[in-house]
Amino acid sequence: MSLAPIVRVENVCKSFRRGSEQIDVLMNLSLDVPEGEFLALMGPSGSGKTTLLNLIAGLDRPTSGVIRVGPETISDMSEARLARWRTRNVGFVFQFYNLLPVLTAYENVELPLLLLPMSKAMRKQQVTTALDLVGLSNRMNHRPGQLSGGQQQRVGIARAIVTDPTLIVADEPTGDLDTRSAHEILDLMVELKNSLNKTILMVTHDPKAASRAERILHLEKGQLVSETVPGAPALDSRITSEPTA
Amino acid sequence: MNSIDEVLLRFTSDWRNPVGIAALALVLFVAILYWEQTRFMLKSLRRNVLRSVLTGMATFILVLVITLVWSILAFLDRQTAAKSENLKAIITEKYQLPSQMPISYATSLAEGAPRNAGDYRVNPAKDSMLWAFYGGTLDPNKKTRENIIFFFAMEPSKIISYDNRTKKYSSMMDDIDQATDEEKRLLNDACREMEKYPYKVLVGPTRLAQMNKRVGERFKVTSLNYKEIDLEFEILGEIPGGRYELSAAMNYQYLQDAIESYNKGKSKDKQHAMTERTLALMWVRVPDMDAFERVAQQISSSPEYTTPAVKCDTASSGIASFLDAYKDLLFGMRWLLVPAILVTMSLVIANAISISVRERRVEMAVLKVLGFSPNQILSLVLGEALLIGCTSGLISGWLTYFLINDLVGGLALPIAFFGKFFISDAAPWWGLSIGAATALAGSVLPAWSARSVKVSEVFSKVA
Ligand SMILES: Nc1ncnc2c1ncn2[C@@H]1O[C@H](COP(=O)(O)OP(=O)(O)O)[C@@H](O)[C@H]1O
Ligand SMILES: [Mg+2]
Repeated sequence: MSLAPIVRVENVCKSFRRGSEQIDVLMNLSLDVPEGEFLALMGPSGSGKTTLLNLIAGLDRPTSGVIRVGPETISDMSEARLARWRTRNVGFVFQFYNLLPVLTAYENVELPLLLLPMSKAMRKQQVTTALDLVGLSNRMNHRPGQLSGGQQQRVGIARAIVTDPTLIVADEPTGDLDTRSAHEILDLMVELKNSLNKTILMVTHDPKAASRAERILHLEKGQLVSETVPGAPALDSRITSEPTA
Repeated sequence: MNSIDEVLLRFTSDWRNPVGIAALALVLFVAILYWEQTRFMLKSLRRNVLRSVLTGMATFILVLVITLVWSILAFLDRQTAAKSENLKAIITEKYQLPSQMPISYATSLAEGAPRNAGDYRVNPAKDSMLWAFYGGTLDPNKKTRENIIFFFAMEPSKIISYDNRTKKYSSMMDDIDQATDEEKRLLNDACREMEKYPYKVLVGPTRLAQMNKRVGERFKVTSLNYKEIDLEFEILGEIPGGRYELSAAMNYQYLQDAIESYNKGKSKDKQHAMTERTLALMWVRVPDMDAFERVAQQISSSPEYTTPAVKCDTASSGIASFLDAYKDLLFGMRWLLVPAILVTMSLVIANAISISVRERRVEMAVLKVLGFSPNQILSLVLGEALLIGCTSGLISGWLTYFLINDLVGGLALPIAFFGKFFISDAAPWWGLSIGAATALAGSVLPAWSARSVKVSEVFSKVA
């Protein structure tokens, strides 16, 4: 595992306005993720996990602070540029899969590729590879409604990796699945990390899911409070807002 | 100046409309270039087939109504548009309707009544035409509608003639220009035949069917407006084109000869009452408004036309004054009905599209996550609306055209002398552009709201 950080979050604050009230969700948060790491984010509901993930995936911009992914500083890109950047660099896995119901599994996976200059044959090759990888090449022409939850989530993962992004972010990817399907999905994520060297950021509630990651960060009230390494005895290394270097 | 009118008229009345073709080509080009996206939009539309179909139907029906209304308006416009070239002066009796002038007026009127050197002189052989009306019944005991026939009596050479030197047909009738060469040749042959045998006549197809007669048959007419001048005719052929379905055309000379032979040997007071009253109107073609003014001046100042006095109008001014009676109705159609329909269409589309956008907020957010830019999302929504609008508009315009013109054979307008009217050739283009414009107008707001969907708001559910 290379130690060069692929994701660098520096002193990031994020607040939302609701009416006249200002809600500070993330407070002066810093974080490094080395390339190829499988990182889990845990924390109570409302602690800001999704918000942090969205910022790293370039779905939103921080109120202050800098976010770098690879060579790019994404915290000051325009919305349109961020969109283009996301296509190539981030694969997103949702809790509720969010496949488009009108499209087949194949077409759902193909969707992000339509944004890239690519021939139909090339697209086909990449889509089949991705579906192969998640073990669904025999369900290509099924619509989401015809697939089980676990299968839908695997299509979701295929869609996330089809553009071959460096970074995969997953927001509670097993939150809606039964234990067995959840287990399969986690196996798949570990596999992505191991064989394709993808960097994976996963938000989860489930300690069992988190234990499959290499490192677990605990978020509370918008701040990272501790870091654990699964398998190792609980390191009581309470971190404040310093970067973990 | 006036040629702009011409261009506009052509623009709105010809299917070979360059803008229309370009627009369709563009739509197809974009649809094919972004075929994957188009397919995606089609699939999204298929998700709620009922709603898409209903929206399309609404567009379809409204385009149909607009096409009908516009066709009538364009038709009337064309009739009233003051043309600058080849103006037609219509000379009629000044104080009486129906106009009944002595045929002795014809010779000088046909030249535009020049009296002095330097006066404007019309070429009577090519640029003037006399009209008389002869009507009667096939069966004097049964004056039913089917039995009554009405002839335009005219000079066949003015309907059409062929100039061997220039190898061109000339005609006083506007419609003839649009006929094919073959049609012109046939009509020319028929007119020469009418000159040779003045009892031969042309009859409109519908009238012919009503009379239950065939080409080649002979029939006798007991006149209603020329008492005792009963004539025998032979049907030479049908009048081509849609405008004269119910009419019939005869050689004026036949009528004139019949009156003369009736009067032969009779003293002045025993002569036929219509003797000095056969000429209903004269057409005189002049190249421009200036020539028209001069001819009108020559005629009105001439001492020759005093009992009865005559007047001179342009064709369009005559129709324009006639249409004046319908001014409010036409105004309402143009400025109230049509805009109201357009607004309704936009609202129907806006309603359907905004519902479907609201239903798919999460989906739009997912597309954004996948890397679709705000403008791409905007285009997807606009594209869906455009697909419905363009398709149903184009089909509706074309179908209206096909149904009215080809299947029904034209609509009879309840305005006296216009005869049948037809849907403009450009109707499919009208449909396409109306469909596109209303779809755009209706989907701009929903598309904008889809464009501004905030991903973080859709997915960061409040804990
Ligand atoms: N777009 C938003 N507008 C207003 N408040 C928001 C928005 N997104 C998140 N929040 C608030 O930020 C806090 C953290 O949300 P989130 O990151 O979704 O928490 P988690 O994923 O850890 O449960 C919550 O209190 C939530 O209400
Ligand atoms: Mg969350």
